[in-house]
Amino acid sequence: MNGRAGPAVIEPTFSPPAERRSVLDRAHVGDVEGALGTLSVFDTGPRRSPRRRLMTLLAILGPGLVVMLANNDAGGISVYAQAGQEHGAGLLWVLVALAPVLFINQEMVARLGAVSGAGHARLIVERFGRRWGAFALGDLLALNALTIVTDLIGVTLALGFFGVSRYLAVPIAAALLVAVIVGAGFRGWERTMLTLVVVSLAAIPLALLVHGAGGAVGSTAAPASSGSSFVLLVIAIAGTTIAPWQFFFQQSNVVDKRITPRWLAYERLDTLLGTVLVLLGAVAIMLTCAWAFDGTALHGSFADAGAVARNLRATASPLAAILFAVVLLNASLLGAAAVTLSGSYAVGDYFGFRHSLHRRWRDARVFRATSVALVAIAVAVVLIPGAPLGLITTGVQALAGILLPSASVFLLLLCNDRDVLGPWVNPGWLTAIGAATVGALVALSTILTVTTLFPDADVATISVAVFALLALVLAAMGVLQLRRPRHRPTTLSTAAERAAWTTPRLDTLPPPRASRLRSATLVLVRVQLLFSAALLLARLVQAGLGG
Amino acid sequence: MSPSERPDRKPLSPRQVEQVADVMFALSTASRVAILDQLRLGPATVSGLMEATGMEQSAVSHQLRVLREHRLVRASRDGRRRVYELYDDHVALLFDEAIRHITDTSGASKARRGAARLRRGAR
Repeated sequence: MNGRAGPAVIEPTFSPPAERRSVLDRAHVGDVEGALGTLSVFDTGPRRSPRRRLMTLLAILGPGLVVMLANNDAGGISVYAQAGQEHGAGLLWVLVALAPVLFINQEMVARLGAVSGAGHARLIVERFGRRWGAFALGDLLALNALTIVTDLIGVTLALGFFGVSRYLAVPIAAALLVAVIVGAGFRGWERTMLTLVVVSLAAIPLALLVHGAGGAVGSTAAPASSGSSFVLLVIAIAGTTIAPWQFFFQQSNVVDKRITPRWLAYERLDTLLGTVLVLLGAVAIMLTCAWAFDGTALHGSFADAGAVARNLRATASPLAAILFAVVLLNASLLGAAAVTLSGSYAVGDYFGFRHSLHRRWRDARVFRATSVALVAIAVAVVLIPGAPLGLITTGVQALAGILLPSASVFLLLLCNDRDVLGPWVNPGWLTAIGAATVGALVALSTILTVTTLFPDADVATISVAVFALLALVLAAMGVLQLRRPRHRPTTLSTAAERAAWTTPRLDTLPPPRASRLRSATLVLVRVQLLFSAALLLARLVQAGLGG
Repeated sequence: MSPSERPDRKPLSPRQVEQVADVMFALSTASRVAILDQLRLGPATVSGLMEATGMEQSAVSHQLRVLREHRLVRASRDGRRRVYELYDDHVALLFDEAIRHITDTSGASKARRGAARLRRGAR
């Protein structure tokens, strides 16, 4: 407004900069150096004008957008395309229902990162013990390697459409990934990622193009069937949309970006914007395939994402086919880059190695080398002639189904931990919503594990059984919660005090308060994990005996 | 001799500035200082450090990893046990200088403090 006129006015609303005391790496403290702007550590002034608010938002934009759009990776695009081709617009409601779940989860991890300055893996070690931490890290790394494999397969399908051999496509993609991993500083990395995020929005013009070209749009609203394949597809959509690596990625990325509680409101907007865009992108892919194949012989016969691109050339237009291949290629690269980095962050965080994109290769060798190793493993798997690629997709879903329940339960417990989050703990209503969504996720993962490992199982019966069991457990927990003595709200209430509050040093925190709710939850997580692991083992034995 | 009188005094490169700040960062947590203080007395195992500092095992292991990452501590194997010691004698010197800094009783600093007291009195 009248920015530089008149003498300086002393503002009583300035607060001290928030100092995060638990960071593991000195590079996690300092100025925010975002792709689109910079914020000084000492900048605690109020944001009065819309222009300053916008500049602040631009500087913060990044972690939320990247984590959300990386979510629509090769696996996501395939599943959405399959849903569109086989069920028309009949599964759109699943995406709409999942978007709030995505937002709630990611808002919580971003808050944990900004307030504590520690990554997700380290908080799990500190609050739930080394064993849970080691389990989470091991499963995450295996899952990440397999996810990068699926992304590289996405690259081969996309470049295969343009006639590029997989033995050329995979090394090129891997070289690009390694170049970004080894060469980029924080700002360069984030700019690369945001470019990929912008390109991923090409899914929206693609859908409009197909809508305009197709013309013959029938009654796409009615689901084609409601049998067990339908339920499985719903679960597969949920499984690819809510992925455990996202927790680890966004929390560490917020820490690495040096976002403090001072900027949490802007980080929430970042996450919200990402949620809206990822929803639009997924809906666009689903509708593209719904509109393009409805009423044709191809309706209901999904093969893979590469076949979708080839078929689009016939049913829609060559331009649509090219756009789809570009979107698929872009999604695979974005997904692989983010998943790779989440592995690097988690290793550094768990073992105490320096882990920041602000550091060059020679100052953070383990951090960068972890990423290179993950990409190398994935390349090797993809290029092995006759690699069991179908088994890998199954493996991703089984491992995710094993990791997601504990990760989401820990997330909710951490967000209710007054020692860690102080005035930033979840309000009661958010805990209630969170508990319901975590419950649904645990149930879905269990069904996913069962049906992935035993495809012949009766999905409907299992679903009913699992959800009934879950409802019982939730009701029991609700009773426990009601009988618990209520905590008094903390005295920190003004926004300025909250903005400067950070977690005390993690090793000085008192041990987590034992409550019946907490122990009951942990028992539940163990039971679920043992159940999934037993299933996995049974399946392996069965496969071994069956030959 | 003050630093400005040293003949070979060159400003640090930006990378060196970062590296020095990293070392100081590793020394900036009380629990890590307590561990280093124990290791000044001689090599020790995790359980020995737990006993001496009163910290929990996970905390000791975690801080030891940070210290190793910053090359302030190194580990060696003694049979099945893992023994930790200071990385080299620089670390002990760094530590000694820090202690001298807080318990500083040299003539120069006494004179400085006296001058400061005079200035305060004159105001």
